[in-house]
Amino acid sequence: MRAVHRRYLREFIPAMAGYVGLILGSVYWLKLGHPSGYWRALIALLPVLPIVLVMRAMVRVIRDSDELERRIELEAVAIGAMTVGMVFFGAGLLAGADVIALTGESVAIWVLPALCASYGLAKCWAIRRYR
Amino acid sequence: MKSRLRELREKRGWSQGDLAEQLDVSRQTVNAIETEKYDPSLPLAFRIARVFGQRIETIFLTDDPS
Repeated sequence: MRAVHRRYLREFIPAMAGYVGLILGSVYWLKLGHPSGYWRALIALLPVLPIVLVMRAMVRVIRDSDELERRIELEAVAIGAMTVGMVFFGAGLLAGADVIALTGESVAIWVLPALCASYGLAKCWAIRRYR
Repeated sequence: MKSRLRELREKRGWSQGDLAEQLDVSRQTVNAIETEKYDPSLPLAFRIARVFGQRIETIFLTDDPS
């Protein structure tokens, strides 16, 4: 494993662990019914902080990757983003036609995980392409 | 693009990993260039030429007669 990828794991794993801890803690605390007002908003948004660190780790690894790795990342991000965009657009059309029921909350919550999963699958495909 | 990268590397007894380390790229990138799945940028082609002490056009071969 190249040094740049070792550094990525050193930054990514604690950030993701922080995210998991904060999302579990924040949901649990909010379900207990406290606190209220601005504090409630702050607690609800806490899990976003480690996501910023994940994003920083990703930007740093892409910047320090070689040219083929950057091309693979670009293809994976483009395919992943467009796939998620199309799926959510299709779901929106189906919801508009009353074929399925969607809440704004579920759509907003699932965009990021769907993007991560779609990017991951697209990256596997892109890596195989250059193997 | 066809290249003599594998031939030159093997002549020196280097693995793809050895060459990748000298070029500061991944082993996958060296493999992709050798298998003609990826054409390197000009700066990388120059680095490759420098590592082997040869001119770019003697390593990377084009069908274009011009």
